[in-house]
Amino acid sequence: MKKSLKIKDISLNGDAPITELNLDDLLPLPPPYDKIEEQPGWKRITEEQKGRIVCNLDGVVGLSLPRPETPEEEKKYVDLFVTGMQKLLSRENNWTFLQPLLLSLEYCAKCQTCSDSCPVYEASGKNDLYRPTYRSEVFRRLANKYLKPGGKLLAKLNNEEIELNWTTISRLYELAYRCTMCRRCAQACPMGVDNGLITHELRKLFSQELGWAPRELHEKGTMLQLKVGSSTGMSPKVVKDNMEFIDEDYSELTGFDVVTPWDRKDADVLLIHNAGEILSWPENPAAFTILLNAAGISWTLASDDPAYDGVNYGLFYDDVQLARIALKHAEVAKKLNVKKIVMGECGHQHKALMTIADRILLGDMNIPRESSMTFLENLVFSGKIKFDPSKNDFPVTLHDPCNIVRNLGIVEPQRRILRYLCPQFREMTPHGVDNYCCGGGSGFAVMSQNNFKDWRVAVAGRKKFKQILDAFADQPGPEVKKYLCAPCSNCKGQIRDILDYYGAPLKSGIIYGGLVELIVNAMTDLKEPFIKWEE
Amino acid sequence: MSALVLMICAYAAIVISTVVLAFRTVKIAQMPVHLRWELAPVPHEKGKSAYGGSYLEEYEWWTRDHESSIMNEVIYMAKEIFLLKGVWENNRGLWPFTFLFHNGIYLLAAAAALVFVSAIMLISSSPLSPLDLTLDLATILLIAAYLLGTAGSFGLLIKRYMDPNLKPFNSTSTYLNLVLLVLVFGSGLYAFFSTSDYSLELGYFARSLITFSPQSYISVPMGTHILIVLIFLTYLPFTYMIHFVAKYFTYHEVRWNDRPQTEKMTRKLNDLLAQPVSWSAPHVKGDGKKNWVDMATEEMKDEKKPEN
Ligand code: SF4
Ligand code: SF4
Repeated sequence: MKKSLKIKDISLNGDAPITELNLDDLLPLPPPYDKIEEQPGWKRITEEQKGRIVCNLDGVVGLSLPRPETPEEEKKYVDLFVTGMQKLLSRENNWTFLQPLLLSLEYCAKCQTCSDSCPVYEASGKNDLYRPTYRSEVFRRLANKYLKPGGKLLAKLNNEEIELNWTTISRLYELAYRCTMCRRCAQACPMGVDNGLITHELRKLFSQELGWAPRELHEKGTMLQLKVGSSTGMSPKVVKDNMEFIDEDYSELTGFDVVTPWDRKDADVLLIHNAGEILSWPENPAAFTILLNAAGISWTLASDDPAYDGVNYGLFYDDVQLARIALKHAEVAKKLNVKKIVMGECGHQHKALMTIADRILLGDMNIPRESSMTFLENLVFSGKIKFDPSKNDFPVTLHDPCNIVRNLGIVEPQRRILRYLCPQFREMTPHGVDNYCCGGGSGFAVMSQNNFKDWRVAVAGRKKFKQILDAFADQPGPEVKKYLCAPCSNCKGQIRDILDYYGAPLKSGIIYGGLVELIVNAMTDLKEPFIKWEE
Repeated sequence: MSALVLMICAYAAIVISTVVLAFRTVKIAQMPVHLRWELAPVPHEKGKSAYGGSYLEEYEWWTRDHESSIMNEVIYMAKEIFLLKGVWENNRGLWPFTFLFHNGIYLLAAAAALVFVSAIMLISSSPLSPLDLTLDLATILLIAAYLLGTAGSFGLLIKRYMDPNLKPFNSTSTYLNLVLLVLVFGSGLYAFFSTSDYSLELGYFARSLITFSPQSYISVPMGTHILIVLIFLTYLPFTYMIHFVAKYFTYHEVRWNDRPQTEKMTRKLNDLLAQPVSWSAPHVKGDGKKNWVDMATEEMKDEKKPEN
């Protein structure tokens, strides 16, 4: 591992990675995952890939940025980066985050108090490249040198040398996708500086000015959602067909009459799922339908695009895309004249629509919005449904999605449910607002190009995997079936990949799922268990 | 040393630092309202802040009264300011130095205030005993400030230079700031031990500042100390060291700003949304004429849209 990386190294030796990751350096895992030789590691980038795409950061490539063909093309992007920085620091183009950004750029004391709180930095064996402050300091020095009057002279006098060139921007682009924006570092910072926000702003600069964004978040993410209705590619017709299949399946499995209502005008509740649930975890929307129908709630799903998909990847990289999708979500709710929108079990949907969009949705577009955590808590304790907690008598732990817990402060409702319905519920350490990100945050869970998936699982998700194993350390073997409750689609995607990568379902008997599945599993009226362990 | 020269320097330093500090503070305060970016725990959340909960935990939160506690914020800030709680919890190796240094600064500020109080007493010919008490207290605070501040700033300087976690982030100004601070406290310590009736002399200097009447003579050690303090005071507002102001905004306006939209805010937001956008990526194509509303409401449909 290359130790003591200097800030200016980002601009040097264009084609070569500036650091190397080794499995031996990574945070050790508990048995039976402690043997380095048995860990899958990550795929090496091939010579063919190296000839085609930029691979100059850390041996990992998540973005497949094509190599520029001419020096002119390189220069074009470098120039765009400069105009992008100017726009990012301007009132007109970035009023959305100008104050927090400038505060974070100007008042960092470089004390490194934030470093050890970062799960990526810690899990990497404290590789300097992944320090919360490294990318921020690069950006800060570039902005100081190339935007401020006398910046070049001051940079020299102040020994803050850095060069703006193709190498710098291509590395910085990839580096903007080595941070999950979990904001654990921001909590630790005594100044209130937010390195997660700087990551966010850098991603915006690349997307909004250079047109650079990960394919999974942009073309196959927000663009697809705006054009078709969902980042899954499902059109309104397909989504309704799929839900109909789910209704049929679960009617058969549970003996209930499972019917999901669509487009009911004047319903009390518009529930918006992350559409990924419908394709990958159909038990989750099915459980919502069963529960809400059993409680006699007046509710509906919407088939108008894109309101059947709560995803809003704009949150991770692009304010314009974020606003476009949030407005459309609200428009559909307004058209249906619902009393409130309830967020499905999706963390970034919570943050995008509940708080970030709060200052975008003006007037009657600002329809009340609520978390499924509080909504479900109210329902569970309403007395409308009978529960038998002994049906959930197996070890359960809870993963706190950063966007619901650290960012929105929704901590206790889900715990009150679990303490009531799961006799063997136990917390991870640490938990609540001090939780660790699953490593799939900020869009990583859907990003898998080249060897990025290996990195996000082995490095970004390592701390979380260790936490999960530690939470079940009293019954580590596969003979005891354990449930990891992760009330967020993206977290579930990442957790699925982590568990598969290590073979943990077989070796440790851990399965994962949402919160609402546990609630339905505990319903007295349910004949057969809702949670299927063989999966 | 000429008291007149020092007085002129003092007025200049006070004016420059006040103006620059005020300018930078107003600049931050006048920045546009931004999108919400709160971060738990938010201490003003009554009954919930201990575990980091927020009003969004309430069922139909918009129908409930939002209970807020300023007291919790004050307690949180006091722990942060005086105990450096965040550094204690997350960076124990740095804490002793930063704790000593910051408390040295606070004590110095408190001592300076007492010196000015004693100057006012001298002007108003107050009875001797309260004056003596004030001067005694100032003396204690000053010596404590100098000792803590010297140890803290010197420790920080060494730590910054030696620690491989900190070193790559240092710039010339990092060292300059700390050397200046070592000089501020160190020169005070030296002046203190080489001047009898130290705080009384300072009191006389403060009196001459208030009454615009220079006293005849200031000893060289004390004059040097005052000069270094004034240089620091002038330099301070140009640096990141005014984070004591910025911190108010990073906490109150960002981390703890969980205010739902208000009518006043809506008016401001309408203005902000009417601003032109010039981001040039293909999916934005901001031409400097389209505004945020145009941009956000633009249809992105294309021919690839499948039939419903
Ligand atoms: S972000 Fe905060 S904690 Fe990290 S180095 Fe800067 S001031 Fe210190
Ligand atoms: S936001 Fe999270 S992942 Fe990013 S630097 Fe901070 S702690 Fe690390």
